[in-house]
Amino acid sequence: MTATTITGRINGRELTLRVDNATLLLDLLRDMGLTGAKPSCEMEICGACTVQLNGLPVSACTTLAVELDGGAVETVEHLDAGGELHPVQRAFLQHSALQCGFCTPGMVMTAKALLEQNPSPTREEVIHWLEGSICRCTGYEPIVDAILAASA
Amino acid sequence: MNVAGTSVPRLDGEVKVTGRARYALDLTVPGMTHGVVARAERAHARIRSIDTAEAEAVPGVLAVCTGTNVAPLDPRFGHVVRDHPALAIDTVRYHGEPIALVVAETRRAAERAARTIRVDYEDLPAVMDAEAALADGAPLLHPERVAGTRDEGLDSGGDGLAGNLCAAAEYGWGDVTAAFEAADLVLEGEYRYPMLYGYAMEPYNSIASFEEGSLVVYSTAQHPYMVREDLARIFSLPLARVRVVVPYVGGGYGTKSYTKVEPLAALGAYVTGRPVRVALSVEESILTTRSDGARIRARSAFAADGTLLARDFDVVMDSGAYTDNSPVVCAKLANRCFGPYRIGAVRVRVRSVFTNTVPASSLRGFGAPQGNLAGELQMDEAADRLGLDPFAIRLHNVVRPGEEILPGKRGIDADLPADLELLARSLGWPDAPEGRGIGFGISASDAGAHPTSVAMVRLHADGSASAAVGATELGQGSRTVLTQILAEELDLPLEKVAIVAADTGVTPYERTTGASRTTTLVGRSLQAACADAKRQARELAGGEDVPYEVAIKRFFGAGGEIIGVGTVRRHGEFQAMPPFWEIGCSGVVAAVDRETGRVRVEQLTTVGDVGFAINPALVHGQDLGAATMGLGAALSERLVYDGQTLANPNVVDYRVPRCSDLPERLDQIVVERRDGIGPYGAKGAGEGSLNPVGAAVAAAVGRVLGRYPHELPLTPERVWRLAQVEASRV
Amino acid sequence: MLLPTDFELHRPTTVAEAAALRAELGDTAALYAGGTELLLAMKLGVLEYEHLIDVKRIPALRGIERRDGELRIGAAVTHRELETLPDLPALAHLERHVANVRVRAAGTLAGNLAFGEPHADPPALLVALGARVALVGASASRELPVEDFLTGPYETELGEDELIEAVIVPVDGAVRAAYRKFQVLERPAVGVAAAGRLDGRVFDGAPVVVAGAVDERPVRIPADALAGAAYDDPDALAALAAAAAEAVEPVDDLSGSEAYKRHLTGVLAQRAVLALRGEG
Repeated sequence: MTATTITGRINGRELTLRVDNATLLLDLLRDMGLTGAKPSCEMEICGACTVQLNGLPVSACTTLAVELDGGAVETVEHLDAGGELHPVQRAFLQHSALQCGFCTPGMVMTAKALLEQNPSPTREEVIHWLEGSICRCTGYEPIVDAILAASA
Repeated sequence: MNVAGTSVPRLDGEVKVTGRARYALDLTVPGMTHGVVARAERAHARIRSIDTAEAEAVPGVLAVCTGTNVAPLDPRFGHVVRDHPALAIDTVRYHGEPIALVVAETRRAAERAARTIRVDYEDLPAVMDAEAALADGAPLLHPERVAGTRDEGLDSGGDGLAGNLCAAAEYGWGDVTAAFEAADLVLEGEYRYPMLYGYAMEPYNSIASFEEGSLVVYSTAQHPYMVREDLARIFSLPLARVRVVVPYVGGGYGTKSYTKVEPLAALGAYVTGRPVRVALSVEESILTTRSDGARIRARSAFAADGTLLARDFDVVMDSGAYTDNSPVVCAKLANRCFGPYRIGAVRVRVRSVFTNTVPASSLRGFGAPQGNLAGELQMDEAADRLGLDPFAIRLHNVVRPGEEILPGKRGIDADLPADLELLARSLGWPDAPEGRGIGFGISASDAGAHPTSVAMVRLHADGSASAAVGATELGQGSRTVLTQILAEELDLPLEKVAIVAADTGVTPYERTTGASRTTTLVGRSLQAACADAKRQARELAGGEDVPYEVAIKRFFGAGGEIIGVGTVRRHGEFQAMPPFWEIGCSGVVAAVDRETGRVRVEQLTTVGDVGFAINPALVHGQDLGAATMGLGAALSERLVYDGQTLANPNVVDYRVPRCSDLPERLDQIVVERRDGIGPYGAKGAGEGSLNPVGAAVAAAVGRVLGRYPHELPLTPERVWRLAQVEASRV
Repeated sequence: MLLPTDFELHRPTTVAEAAALRAELGDTAALYAGGTELLLAMKLGVLEYEHLIDVKRIPALRGIERRDGELRIGAAVTHRELETLPDLPALAHLERHVANVRVRAAGTLAGNLAFGEPHADPPALLVALGARVALVGASASRELPVEDFLTGPYETELGEDELIEAVIVPVDGAVRAAYRKFQVLERPAVGVAAAGRLDGRVFDGAPVVVAGAVDERPVRIPADALAGAAYDDPDALAALAAAAAEAVEPVDDLSGSEAYKRHLTGVLAQRAVLALRGEG
């Protein structure tokens, strides 16, 4: 069998699906209309495809969709599900931490994962976490400032 | 002013942070199929045959297009010279060139099929660098030249192009020979600037379909109207029957200027009758467009008091396999290389050369960084040799407001001495911290491209207004700035205005979104459209000054709207070229680890001489982003050919600046002297800050090591070797 | 990029099950945990498998055990889980800087060793610390020093019927260790690990110095010059640097030339030794 039946949560909603083993998580999400996570380098370097799998930031482009089984995936679309922007999103807007926006969902999810693990990171810790997230537009400073502003 | 001059939060911010912004890559259309490209595995070869039988038999495959089986269509495009086939016709000119397009119901089927395609090649000798291409008897990429498109707004690159010359720009003034003979100091040097990849994070992609006799294309194009023209030519359609739509673009930087994969998608749609998406990977995007590498030979003549007497530049650009935009980059490189100085005698010769490599096209800076590297380093070297201060030597020579850099062109609309003073102060010149070096540079680019812009404003029956413009939103904030101008000109709150953009079926003609021109030129056409709409409203109200909705109601009774049109064209105040000068005035403070060669930039200062910042936050962002891109070329970015193939066609082995490269101290100074032709005295930004960064970093490193580098990027090994050379000279 | 071919996915819940699958499927199967190297290689078309054996659901492979003065790191333990390891600060520091935060979240230390990527961080330090891998097959188990496990680029001693059960690292409070690397592109160009006992400022015996990422496998650097010497003795360190430059066989690549990498190996060897005084 080259397919597996999986049960997991996507943005809080439990789903049971049959997925081809070879399906990548990024493609599963984007085919469902969750196009926030983006394909860019597709080699785990740039972070544009970052989602949270069981709370941890992962490269959806190089993660099997099957890994959703028994677990939970959260994408950027879930952050304002309650009707209000997440503090990280608000901070990004306040600090002009985006321009073309293509890296932004990945940056936001990376920041969210960081602050959940470490609510008061130092500037060095923020920079360390963002090592694997490329932005070609902003020069990074407003992104770092935004994350520090959103921290406790 | 109400809203112009304020850092209004960018209007596309919320959709972008919530992941709801749609880029071309996120779109789907009903019945969409997938096109995957098969690529050449030779740098230069005749195609004897392409075997697509196995590919066609893969389940789900609808068609396999080649350069010859789409006849009678001629699949070539090219806005200056129509020499670029979407699919190679009988000759392959670079490794990675598209040779077939597989269209299938699923991407997986298309990829599987593409892997089975076999090509029978007859190998031809290849030229892998510009020197080889210029050598006597070199194999020719284009033995039969294609006629130019004769677009007046584009430099065709000169007459008498022979051999592997893609374009040439040659001019000068004064008696250069005499000036060099009379000089107290003559400097001569050869400098090298790398081939770069812009790495816009959204790779090239497009969806094309034929609907009701029209070709409809969704694309990442910065210039949808230029793409429209190319597509109209290929499919023999009137412009009215070609529609190019551009949603949010995930990064442009010039890499998405002009036609890329749109013809591929359109050819697939033409053959199958179905919508086709072509979406490239980053590696394929690298195999589509890069920027020109250059070898710059520069000579500068100085008097003992530091006066720059003459400059002689001879530049060779490695421009890849097809013409693309190289003639324009060539012309701009020629205009920008000698720097914004008063120079009595100048000779410039720039040659853009075909090589069997990925075609080069626009990239942020557009020829300025290449020449600036040589020009600014020679100012520093001259200062050292003459015992002068490097800022003082620039202040001494730089043009003053209104003076000409290029004879017969618009005088400079900026105060460069004042900009230099601000730069020096921010960098703490001349006091570098212990063990650090300070480096800086200045540049002026004849920006704005060709000043053709048409804008439309609609006053609605409820007093709200919308504008239609052809400008694309690449991240630079064009939607936001243009909306601010709209609100300001119509005296309406932001909540009551909207903007529709970048849909050639709906929005009026915009030449290009690039050359830092949108705020300035589209801003002016938009202002003119607002003025036209307001004038009409007053007329409809019998000359009375009433709210727009009252005027509309009086005239129409029920419903209706007023449409104002504004035009900018090369006429009147826009006759002189360039429409404006884009200034680059940047500097760094850098430390060097001599043992490893690692350069650490600790401070980055940019002076954004923008005339007026309609949205200061957006200007800051563009200046920092541009300068950061400049740091990439200065320290780590380079495409490397290993024989006939690229050694690093991916962003794993091609390193762009990362968060940890962020300098500790950033100073983005914005200067507003209201001296530009744009709205409220604005000028363009977005490229200027990048242009001098390469020279600035090289100078900083040179000051630490005691020897100026001549080649970028300053990889750790290069810097280590430079340190060794200098250490051994004591 | 897609994963170009379909494959079967097996998810055993015991080591024995996994070993049986390995024996049955042979080279048509790959062991799979984080997939950070494996899946990328499959996307690029460099590797192809009909079966993947997912070891993440085997509880015995998920833990970190302390036993007999050694750390047994289960094969499914991720880099991220090792970032906060209190027992071996040098290893924790190294793990914090492997690749990026996403690779650390999914990728495993054992997977890193099994893939045999020459430009990797962990091998040099593991060799310097005398680490071993515990291998289990359908009928037998064995342990090998990491140094012997890694035989060349993408080549290991792992048998077709075997899987890694744990990475075993001796913990000796008296041994100080440090790892220093230099990176130009995405992978380390050179990494040097040092481990030794210090009596005040003086080495008790010679430290162990191992260069990684720069050669086909980790390379021991002769460090006798430092035996009984002060850790910052300039002559001893100079001799160490020379020995390091001599000991490795780098190749020219985009990170640098052979000569430059030899030089870097020497520089990092010195820096790793100097860092020992800050460790422990």
